Formats: sequence, C-alpha cells, structure tokens
Amino acid sequence: MLQVERLCSFYGRAQILHDVGFAIAPGSVAVLLGRNGAGKSTVLKSLIGLVPPQTGRIRFETADIAGLPPHRIARTGIGYVPEERRIFAELTVAENLETGRRPPRPGLAPWTAARLFALFPALAELRRRPAGRMSGGEQQMLAIARTLMGNPRLVLLDEPGEGLAPLMVRQIEVAVRALREEGVSLLIAEQGPAFARAVADQVLVMEKGAVVWSGTHAALDADAPARRRYLAL
Amino acid sequence: MHGFLLTQLLTGLASAAQLFLLAAGLTVIFGVTRVVNFAHGALYMLGAYLGYSLITRAPPTPLGFALGALATAGAVAALGAALEIGLLRRLYRAPELFQLLATFAVALMAEDLTQRLWGAEDLALPRPGFLAAAVRIGAARFPLYDLVLIGLGPAVYLALLALFRTTRWGVLVRAATADRDMLACLGVDQRWLFTAVFALGAGLAGLGGALSLPDATATLQMGFSSVTDAFVVVVVGGLGSLSGAALASLLIGLLQAFGIALVPRSTLVLVFVVMAATLMLRPHGLLGRAPGETGGAAAAPDLIRPATPALRALALVALLAAIALPFLAGPFLLSVATEALIALLFAASLHLMMGPGGMASFGHAAWFGLGAYGAALAALALRAPLPLALVMGMLLAGAVAALFGLVVVRLAGVYLAMLTLAFAQIVWAGAMQFEEISGGDNGLLGVWPPRWLQGPIGFYVLALALCVGGALVLRRALQAPFGYALRGARDAPQRAAAIGLDIARLRWAAFTLAGAAAGLAGALYVFAKGSVFPTYLGLGRSVDALLMVLLGGVGTMSGPFVGALVYTGLYDALLLATDAWRLVLGAAIVAMVLLFPDGIAGAVARRVRA
Amino acid sequence: MTLLAAEHLSRRFGGVTALRDVSFAVAAGEVVALIGPNGAGKSTCFNLLSGQLRPSGGRIRLDGRDITGLDPPSICRRGVGRSFQITATFASMTVRENVQLALLAHHRQIWRFWRPAAAAFRAEAQALLAELGMDAEADRAAAVLAYGDLKRLELAVALAGAPRLLLMDEPTAGMAPGERGALMALIRRLAGERGLGVLFTEHDMDAVFGTADRILVLARGALIAAGRPEEIRADAEVQRVYLGVEG
Repeated sequence: MLQVERLCSFYGRAQILHDVGFAIAPGSVAVLLGRNGAGKSTVLKSLIGLVPPQTGRIRFETADIAGLPPHRIARTGIGYVPEERRIFAELTVAENLETGRRPPRPGLAPWTAARLFALFPALAELRRRPAGRMSGGEQQMLAIARTLMGNPRLVLLDEPGEGLAPLMVRQIEVAVRALREEGVSLLIAEQGPAFARAVADQVLVMEKGAVVWSGTHAALDADAPARRRYLAL
Repeated sequence: MHGFLLTQLLTGLASAAQLFLLAAGLTVIFGVTRVVNFAHGALYMLGAYLGYSLITRAPPTPLGFALGALATAGAVAALGAALEIGLLRRLYRAPELFQLLATFAVALMAEDLTQRLWGAEDLALPRPGFLAAAVRIGAARFPLYDLVLIGLGPAVYLALLALFRTTRWGVLVRAATADRDMLACLGVDQRWLFTAVFALGAGLAGLGGALSLPDATATLQMGFSSVTDAFVVVVVGGLGSLSGAALASLLIGLLQAFGIALVPRSTLVLVFVVMAATLMLRPHGLLGRAPGETGGAAAAPDLIRPATPALRALALVALLAAIALPFLAGPFLLSVATEALIALLFAASLHLMMGPGGMASFGHAAWFGLGAYGAALAALALRAPLPLALVMGMLLAGAVAALFGLVVVRLAGVYLAMLTLAFAQIVWAGAMQFEEISGGDNGLLGVWPPRWLQGPIGFYVLALALCVGGALVLRRALQAPFGYALRGARDAPQRAAAIGLDIARLRWAAFTLAGAAAGLAGALYVFAKGSVFPTYLGLGRSVDALLMVLLGGVGTMSGPFVGALVYTGLYDALLLATDAWRLVLGAAIVAMVLLFPDGIAGAVARRVRA
Repeated sequence: MTLLAAEHLSRRFGGVTALRDVSFAVAAGEVVALIGPNGAGKSTCFNLLSGQLRPSGGRIRLDGRDITGLDPPSICRRGVGRSFQITATFASMTVRENVQLALLAHHRQIWRFWRPAAAAFRAEAQALLAELGMDAEADRAAAVLAYGDLKRLELAVALAGAPRLLLMDEPTAGMAPGERGALMALIRRLAGERGLGVLFTEHDMDAVFGTADRILVLARGALIAAGRPEEIRADAEVQRVYLGVEG
C-alpha cells in the first residue's frame, strides 16, 4: 500500500534522511523505532509533504505522491498526527473535528463525530471545550480523532505516547488496535520498543537518518545486539 | 454639559463604527494570509466611488441606499478575489516588503484608473431627506445617519463573529489563522480559503467606503489617507484580531471626539501617543499575539564583496563626469542632476536602514520632511545662514529619529513598516494642521541659498559635495566594524547576541544615522526648490525612496547609487512622456516585484558572479 | 578546578516545570555531554546557561562568580561561547569575515565608523581558521559552505571570543556520519590544548560515548544520572528511560 524508495530529505542544507526505504502492507501496523534525532519525524513529515523530499520515490496505492503539497497528499487518503499534536487550541473539540472532515471513501465505514466519541469516550464530554484547555492525553486523542475525520486509509502517528501517563498510553493502544480492525494501516514513530511490542506487525529501526534494521517485534526481541546497538546506550 | 458629553460620545461612537468598517477587512485578511494589504485603502476608495455610482442610480430611498451599498460591497469583493488570484498568490512566500510594495502598486494604479473613470472632482452624494435628517438630543441636533452607523458597526462585528463561529468555512478560517500547515495536512486547500478571505476583506472595505459617503465626499486622496487610519487601528488592536480592531476603533474614535472638543488639534498627537503607549506596553497590540512563523521567509542575504577594480574605475569616471557636468549641461539638466544627487543621499540613508540594518521603513519621508522643515524654519524664523540651517534640519531629523527609534527598533517586519508609515503620516498631517508654524498646505516659501550659491551651478556643486560625500560616509560606516556588526545582527540575531553584540543599540544607531542623513537630503532640497510643502513628508516620497533602493537592490552596496540615478531619470522621463504615470509606475513596480526581485545592481552582481 | 557550576536550577513555563532542581559542574579542560529523551529539558538547560532564558530558581556560577540572569551578550563577555543546533552564521559575509566580526566584538571594537573592517584582525582570523583546518575556505561565502564546514565555522566564531566555557547544542546534527567523528575529535583536542570546558548535547551516541569525559542524563526535567561513560552505560535507571521498559 505504501512503498518508499531511496528517500533523501533536508532541513535547509542539513541532510536528515539518507536513502530511506521500506514498504507497508495494507491493513498492517508498522512502527519506526529509534533514539531521538534518528530521523523518524522527518520520515513522517516527508510522507505527508511538510518536508518535501529532495530525491526518492513515495508510492501510495496507485499514486506517486513525493513532492505533492500536503493537502493533495492528505486527499489521497493519508492522515498525519504530528508529535506536537498541533490541535487548534482556540477551537472547541467539535470544531477541531470539523476541520478534519472529508468525504467518505469507498470501502471504509465513514467516521463521524459520534463514532469517534465512542472510540474516545473522554472526548464526548468535552465537546464544547476549547481544545487548548484539555490535558495532554485528551489533546492526543483529539489529534487522532481529527485526522480520522478525513477517513484516511493510512495514518501516520508521531510519538503518540510521548509525555503521557501510562493509562493514557494504554487507551491509545486500544484505539490503534481498533483502527487496525477497521482496515486502517498505521505507521507509528516511537522511541521505546514498549509500544511497538504491543501493536506492531513490522518494526523498522532508524539510526542517523537511515533504516538500519527491519523485522517483526519477536525478531527484535531475539536480536539483543541490534537492540543494544540502536536503542540502548 | 450633559448634552455636550452625549453628543461627543455619539460622535465618537459613529467615527468608531466608520473606523471599524474600514479596518475589519484589513485585520481579517492579515490574520489568515499574513499579508498586509496596502491596497485596502484603494478598495475603500473604490467602494466610495462605486457606491456613488450605484446609489445615485438607485431610487432615493433608504432601501435603495442599502441595496446600493450592498451591491458595492459585492463588486469590490469580486475585485478583491481577482486581485488575490492574479497577484498575491504569487507573493505569499515572498518577503513582507514585497507584498507591501505590490499592493502599494495596486493602490497607485487604482487611483489612476479611478481618476480616468470618475474624473478628478470630489463626488458628494446628494442628500435626500432620510440622509439629512437629524434627531434632537437635549439642545443639540444629531444626524440620524450617524445613529444608524452606531448600530451598523456592532452589527457587522457580530455578523462577522457569527460567520467565524458557526459556519464550517469560519471554522476553517480560524484554524488556518492558527496553523496553516496543519490544516493543509488535513486535506484543506488553503488557496481557495485565502481567496475567499481576501474577497471578504475587500467586500468589507467596499462597504465601508460606500457607507462613508453620506458623511464625506469620495476623493482620490481617500485611499492613502484611509489606509493609514486602518493601519493605526489594526496595529493598536493587534494584527489579525477582529475584536482588537473593534476595541481599537472604539478607543481611537472616542479619543478623537473628546480630544477635538477639549483641545482642538490634539487629535494627531493623541493618536500617536495611543499608538506608542500601546506598543510599548503590548508590542503586539491590545489583543494581538506574537506572530509565529510567518509565511514570508526572508531570502538568504547576498554576500557583500569589496568593490572590484572595474567598479571603482566606473565610480571614478562617474564622479569626474559629475564634476564636469556644470561645464557641459544647461540649467535645466543641472537642476535635474541636483535633484538626482539629493535623491542619492536620501536613498543611501534608507538603504542603510533597510539593507544592512534589516529594518524596512515605509515612512522614510518623515526624516526627509523634518529635515526640510527644520532647515526652512531655521532660515525663515531664525534667519540662520545656509550652513547652520542645513545642520539644524539634519539635527532635527536625527533627534526625532533617535527618539522614535527608541520605541520601534525592538519591533520587526510588518509592525516596523506599518509604524514608520503611520508616524510619517502623522507628521504629514501635523504639517498640514499647524498652519502658523508650517504654513499648512501652502507650505513655506522663499527659502533661497545666499547670493553666492544662487544659480544652478553653485548649488549643484554644493549638492554634489554634500550628497556624494554623505553617501560615501554612510558607505564607509557600513564597511567599518559598525556596518559589519549591523549586518551580523540582521543575518543571525541569536548568533550576534552570542558573540556579545547589543542588537537593539546597533539598530538604534543605524536608525538615527539614517534619519539624520535623510534630514540633510531634505534640508538641501528646500534650498534647491526655495520652498517646502507637506508633500515632502508624504507617502509618495517614502515610496520613491523604497523604489530607488529596491530598484538598485537592497543586498548590494552600490544599489542605492544605481537605483537613485535610474529612478530619477525614469521618473522625470515618465512625467514628461505620459499623464498616466501612476498607472505606469504601478505596473512597473508589480513587474519588478514579480520578475526582478533583487534589483539592478543585484542582477548585475549575480551575472558577474555566475 | 570547577569552571561552571549550576546549582539547583529550575525553570517553569506557566504551570509546566521544564527543569527541576538540576545541579552539576564542568571543570576546565573537561568535555561533558548532556543527554536525555525528547522533552527532557536539555534545550531549556542550555538556554538558561547562555542567558536566553532566566531561571525560575537556582544559581549559575562561572569561576565562582554569579552570572545568573545576565543577558546573552553579557554572558558572552564573561567567557561563554556557544554554537546553535540550527547553524547561525553571518550569511552576507565570507568565512573569514565571520570570524573577524567575532574578534572585533571580543575586543570591543564594534563602535567604529571609519576604518574599514576588512583589515581588522585578519591574521588572527586566518590563524584560527587554520587551526580548524578551514584556511582554504577563508574567502568563500559563509552561505555556500557544506554543512560540516558550517558547523566548523560556528566553532571558529565561538572560539574567537576566547571562551573558557563552550556550550554546543547538537554539534553534529545534520552532518554526514563520516564528518561527525572528525568534529568531535577536534573539540576534544581544543579542550585539551586550551583548557576549555565543553558542555554539549547530542543525539549521536557514538559521539557522546566516544568524546565525553562525563555524561549527564536528564529525564522529564530532572537529572537522573551523572558519571563516566561506562557508569552511565551500566545505570539501570538510564536504561529504563531509554528503552522505555517501564509499566
């Protein structure tokens, strides 16, 4: 469903990604692992078009999307939830959801505010609250829900568990599993392997702007040298 | 006494409503697109003219008036959409200065076309009974139409709030105001959102213009005078804040009403004091926020190299030619050359601020004009001899620039550009208003150099010495450690602070120096012309300076020299060749901004380097 | 000998505590790394030390003198140089002019309006560039340098102020893997030769463990470990934070 080949991206003249390549199968969950600064966020930003790649190919379903502006990429069916969440702080929860709403997509049950409130019950009670006055965990849920309103087939999640209490992290895990049940694919960037262990079909490990290891989480569990080398100190 | 208070209160509220209608569109457009639309005043003016045509063709009834005003708003909104699609779309990623300049050019062209379509005469709307009606309040009569305005201002404010709060479109606009990139990641195409917002803002300006007709006439000057008022309201309220604009309109409208009544002619000072106080306490306006990332990423500054031998030789030849000119040219050409020399110093002073100083100014004429008035007053009132008058003009401009600089050098980008513009307009209005000092519109006449300098040759030589000398002194300062430090503070402010540079002081010194140099240019100009008028302080002259600097290229050291000479030549040729100079000039600016953004000297330097 | 002493530093943003009661010291000639996951408070800590932010509590001493709450230019004049995560050089100048301006600032010769700056401290600037292996680039525009050279230029500009303490925010970020080792070796050498204290943040663990004498680990605004590289590697708490094996 998503195929990335030899992707190179820059911030100004600083090269962040060096020939990144990987593929994601329909309906699966892939986790990008790596220490901070490894380039995980930049991979996601390159996919959604916020950091257009200088060279390389990105194929999503039948379309070549490398170099398209973000709104066109989003319309092909990719949703993006940034690390900083970037919810619209002055808009209410309901209004934030409205900003994400796009027409339904064939083959997917369309998301509605009601279905999302069922998925994230905590949001249902906060409908009229300005999003800036919610806790970090609630904002994270809102950011995910807002993206789902666009009925994406692939969701890019950047460090969804970052800075959240364990209970919140678990709720997000539940949501991720529910999304996979719906047939939505996910690409999740994370620093630690805990989250990956819980949800991933495929683990991609990044270091210094390149994908240096890939496999299942069971294989990563078995590969102590790789874990030490790329993730531990 | 109560009657007096009440009428002043109502007068203040009515003018607050007018101000709000004028400024609301500007702030809405800025909030979403981050473009300061200089053409906003021109759209307001078009609203007045179009409104005149439509309302006079409608039946003279309240309904006819209302429909005419609404149709005007619709027509101006359509024009705004066309302007956005045709021009501004290409400029969202350009530096702010270019957006200001391009929309300024649009304003120039609009003024010219309006004159062609409607003529140069002011247009006064006939006042049928319902517009001339008044109500009795205590002992005084108060115009009924002003009462309607007092209701209309808040009604428009509430309607806009409802639009932004309750519609999907409004929600998307508010989201775009907060974080455009995130909204794009949600699949929203900002381009049409921006077009629609621009149309809305333009429509509001059109409505405001049409609704101003019963109280005022439609004039060609109203575009530029109203845009200054709108800038002041928006800066005080906070760029992009609708409620801020409402609050600021109220504040300024009431202050003006009571100010006029209590201390006649205090209004200009009051407005400036309000603006300065607001910005000192709240640098981003009453309800404004610190701007996040703006769309206009500054282009990487060009490398500045020492002049090549060829360039030095060329400069020497030019200088020799200038010295030889009195022996070759007649009086007319000499007087044109004198003006070109004065323009050179004026442009060089702005270049110091804008280029190496990194501070865009839209009101540089303030310093030129202060220098001119200072010299003229010294010569006329104090009977100062020419050298002393020149020095006094320069000192006056430098001292005022030093004071004003204290307030503004910590600001950046559009805020600085708008504040300098507003300041210059206030000084201009002051020169118009304080007739017993400045002579008002009639100016001050009979300021001639002493006998031994009269005649084109003598004064030309003086101008050559002072202007070329002054420009070279500025250039020298830019090549000295001071100039490097100034450029360092512009290139990388964080880094500059981390090596121990005091950025605010450097910028303040550049501001003061530029003000004094422009003042000297203005002082010389008075003696060249023998008189001084408020136009010396006008927006047109500020823009002349901007165009000279941009034409030459901001990022080069020889830019102001090339720009001043080419511009003066073109301008005089244009004035002689066509009466459509505003149209041609406007089109030329648009072309330059779109096609030729690094100026003549910049383009040449690029070619030489390549 | 203690050069920099941070004592009970804390910083709050609104209701959020970004840094909580952090104390550490850097000695002259010592290279110290400050590491931690995203949001641990590294940047906040750096900005407190260089004067970009004022601490909500605690003291900062340089050579025993209190420098808490001074602004960046004043801290610079007391002998603290810094480099930035996103390189900040003077793009309208050549490589040498970048260094010359820093030397002019250091020698308090900025407020001069007449003598051209091109000749000022030219030889000194050239010598400093030579020391960093950049003398061949001296006449090139800073704006066109390769990223690795830009990082070295930043270092040269920081060194022009003759600092006793150097703060480096991710010195190798954005560099090609091969260049990183060379830059860190250079920093190591300068610290030894000049008795310079160096405090740096870094994501590249090879650079951290290969260069630092000591490592400080921040997590959620608090200092959770400090020690020599092998001690940090063996620290269970640090492993837990980095591997996220909690809960």
